[in-house]
Amino acid sequence: MPVDYVETLVAQKGAGFVFDNYQRNQFLASSDPQAFKMPDLKKTGTTICGVVCDGGVVLGADTRATAGDIVADKNCEKLHKMADNICCAGAGTAADLEHTTKKFAADLELMRLTLHRTPRVGTAVTMLSQHLFRYMGYVGCALVMGGVDPTGPSLYMIYPHGSTDRLPFASMGSGSLAAMSMLETGYKDDMTIEEGKKLVSEAILAGITNDLGSGGQVDLCVVTKDAYTMHRNIMAPYPRTRIPKPVMFPTGTTTVLEEVKMLKGRLEVTDADVEMRDA
Amino acid sequence: MASGTLSAPAPPFVMGVPSAACSRADEVGTGTTILAVSYKGGVVLAADTRTSAGAYVVNRASRKISKVHDKIYVCRSGSAADTQALTQFVKYYLNIHSLELGELPSVNTAATLFQSFHYDYKDMLMSGLIVAGWDGKRGGQIYSLPIGGSKIKVNVTAGGSGSVYISGLIDALYKEDMTKEEAQQLALKLLSHAMARDASSGGMVRMTTISEDGVEETTFEGDKLPTPA
Amino acid sequence: MSIFSYNGAALVGMAGKDCVAVAVDKRLGVNQFQTISANFQRAFQVSERCFVALGGLASDVQTVHKEIAYRMKMYSLREEREMEPKVVTALVASMLYARRFGPWFVDPVVAGLDKDNKPVLAGYDSIGAKSEAHDFVTGGTASDQLFGLCEQFWKPDMDADQLFETISQCLLAAVDRDCVSGWGADVFILTADGTVTKKTLKVRQD
Repeated sequence: MPVDYVETLVAQKGAGFVFDNYQRNQFLASSDPQAFKMPDLKKTGTTICGVVCDGGVVLGADTRATAGDIVADKNCEKLHKMADNICCAGAGTAADLEHTTKKFAADLELMRLTLHRTPRVGTAVTMLSQHLFRYMGYVGCALVMGGVDPTGPSLYMIYPHGSTDRLPFASMGSGSLAAMSMLETGYKDDMTIEEGKKLVSEAILAGITNDLGSGGQVDLCVVTKDAYTMHRNIMAPYPRTRIPKPVMFPTGTTTVLEEVKMLKGRLEVTDADVEMRDA
Repeated sequence: MASGTLSAPAPPFVMGVPSAACSRADEVGTGTTILAVSYKGGVVLAADTRTSAGAYVVNRASRKISKVHDKIYVCRSGSAADTQALTQFVKYYLNIHSLELGELPSVNTAATLFQSFHYDYKDMLMSGLIVAGWDGKRGGQIYSLPIGGSKIKVNVTAGGSGSVYISGLIDALYKEDMTKEEAQQLALKLLSHAMARDASSGGMVRMTTISEDGVEETTFEGDKLPTPA
Repeated sequence: MSIFSYNGAALVGMAGKDCVAVAVDKRLGVNQFQTISANFQRAFQVSERCFVALGGLASDVQTVHKEIAYRMKMYSLREEREMEPKVVTALVASMLYARRFGPWFVDPVVAGLDKDNKPVLAGYDSIGAKSEAHDFVTGGTASDQLFGLCEQFWKPDMDADQLFETISQCLLAAVDRDCVSGWGADVFILTADGTVTKKTLKVRQD
């Protein structure tokens, strides 16, 4: 039986950001600025873009996530589903993007359930931009958000500080210049969805090729009045050329000092006591 | 996957404030030209459409003239995020005020609302505004709201990084009691001169004309401007 | 020099066929100058079929482990079931993101087997950006080296024995090129029948 005090204890844990460690971290930083440097957060040095077409929007993204100059994820997802009719492409700090889009996807769903209406793209944009403005740019989300609602298809850019732009075509991230060059040359009013997919793929491809922070595959998302279609890895422009020869390490290669087998039980995990030893 | 330094948040994206008033270092050099001209019976607001972050034009067709109420508009310069948010706040309060009042709010009320936000949050906001519109009490009016929280009633004014190139021209060409067409032609001429000289102003010219008869919005494409000699 | 390399760590999780493995080093040091322990625990079995390994600042390693253990216990009291590995990956992400503006200096790796014996692997940065992988995840000061080694030696559908040899060789080679990790290593192999095998490796002591 669930116990009452569990609920009480859970209720004591508030939601939202926790600043418990803030002072300690400031202290660490002041005690030794040499040794203390904030870590490289995972970023999406990214190419994302979107185009408004006849009766829908097409959004695209590359799939590379970076931490400093290391490729942290070769095939991450930068297109986030906000609602059945809204898609959001994200560039910036990976943790912020992941958690912010998730939060607002949940908020939009709750709104849909209370109002019995499909949320409008403008509503989602307002919610996100007010959130980002409140955090004064410290929540590092640069978004391209698109979707279809009773007012038709629409596309917006949202900047980390909370400003927004409504445009027929948009690109963001470190590869936005490469992508924009393709969009500026190829964009026409009222393109078909197929033309839009082609243009967006080309724009993302330009980012993957010419921007070092972008890479991997092309993801596309098509939103129309009737459907939300995700095309994951629709293009893999640079497949692995280095095919590793499968190396078999014969059993026994590694010297084992001690082996413990636990059958359906627990290993000792009681306390992570530090055992002192002469170094 | 962690080692190294925390990079600063992306530079805020701005529409330009002239020179030293701006305190956020990475925002220098980006700009805007906005202006408003009063004429007999109304006001003309005009703005370029370039929004930039550093040297990159983020949006070449942006709208820097925002609606606050039926006959009150605002030209925005400075941080796009700050001015957009500010406009939304004022719009909200002014709409409630208007409902309680049961009539159109006065332009002065709108400008005073903007002013109080400007003054209260002067160390956080980077925003230079021109509030203009028409009301039954005082007719067409223009208020200049620079950084810091002052409010100055004027007949003609320009703001943003491009305004420095045309202040002499404004002094030379502005006359009181112009016709609507004269005022619109003047606004267009002033703006195209500013856009020609200021690298961070450009694109098209958007113009909003407000009088007792209503609101008129026009756009002049960049290649069809009266090119300054 | 970052706070992340103050104590040093090497961690890697790897997927095999119906099995998953975690390998961690055991050094606890103070910069490059002092080794306090060669038996520091940084891999924790948090449920029957899930492991969490933590790199980064040792005090935070222990704090975060305790916090995860607390949350998982509360979950099982309330739900009357164990937390699934997939849920553990989400738990770690939201725990870290709650401290977005005052983070723990940890670099977590989660590895487990789900109900269908499919490996679940996830790596994070210190503020909870999760990256799920089908092949391997790395962490700690030797993560760059581990990335390269795993990229070369990982292959799909390894059995438990092959997985052990591969993950061990990757870890051993990686700590040879990282001065602040090594001095001992544990490998945990989780197989479909629920068996956990812990193997302690012979590692260079320099």
